[in-house]
Amino acid sequence: MAEERRFLSASGVPIALRRRQHSASCRELAVRGPRLQLRSLSAATSAVWLAAYGLFALCENSIVLSAAIFITLLGLIIYLHFVKIDQESLLVIGSLGIQVTSAYASGKESTTFIEMGQVKDVVINEAIHMQKVIYYLCILLQDPEDPQAVSEVVPLFQSSKPRLDCLIEVYKSCQEILEQRKTAPQSS
Amino acid sequence: ENSPAPLPERAIYGFALFLGSWFGFILYLIWAYVPETWLFSLGLTYWPQKYWAVALPVYLLVSVGIGYILLFGINMMSTAPLNSTHTITDNFAKKQQQKKFQEEAIPALRDIPISEVNRMFFLPER
Repeated sequence: MAEERRFLSASGVPIALRRRQHSASCRELAVRGPRLQLRSLSAATSAVWLAAYGLFALCENSIVLSAAIFITLLGLIIYLHFVKIDQESLLVIGSLGIQVTSAYASGKESTTFIEMGQVKDVVINEAIHMQKVIYYLCILLQDPEDPQAVSEVVPLFQSSKPRLDCLIEVYKSCQEILEQRKTAPQSS
Repeated sequence: ENSPAPLPERAIYGFALFLGSWFGFILYLIWAYVPETWLFSLGLTYWPQKYWAVALPVYLLVSVGIGYILLFGINMMSTAPLNSTHTITDNFAKKQQQKKFQEEAIPALRDIPISEVNRMFFLPER
């Protein structure tokens, strides 16, 4: 069962949240950002090539033009492979753990798995980020020695930065699964 | 006790500073404008170069301008990153003691854990 809803990110770009329930204790939440726009790609390419042509007009060296083409291609590949994140997804499997996946525009996927024993809670925290106060979802990891203390904070959906309405939906879905581990029999 | 009321000592300090700052300003103007030959003829030969009468104010103003940018940068650097536990708790909250609950009294002030706050805000009341 899958459903998709449209939201806005913290900077105003449209994002889409897709919720899939695989079973009673397994849910996948994926936030997809907009694809690379043709207009921003052509704007960046034209800017670099105009600058290179201006430099060529100054110094009469044609290597500047070939270097500009090379830099544009290399920059595009690096951007698509290391910077542009298309989709971030959260797979919550009750009693097993939480898997966080980031899919880049070039197809690369980077995954992190946190086992349920380490997860204290999934909360919406607000913090100052670059002259703005934003809400963001994060996983609180607990200390093995002191179950009450939070040892680490793992922020989620860092590149798509959904707003509070989208975060509340994700929060409610996660809490429904996390509550089940309290009622389930404890295994030590 | 410390109070902002005027006192005789404060009046004397204020007047001494007033005289001192006027004296310093007149001295600076003499150093900057009076020609070197006149100062030499008076016997004052060991004053710094007049170059510094222009250079020091310029240095001061550039430092003030850089100070604005530096303060902005220091603030940004000391803001806790999104993945630090300082956004959730701090030493005072970790070491706080639970006060006993008294009937019909206002509950004592304490730091509420973030999980509880989230449940109250975002989960519908049951």
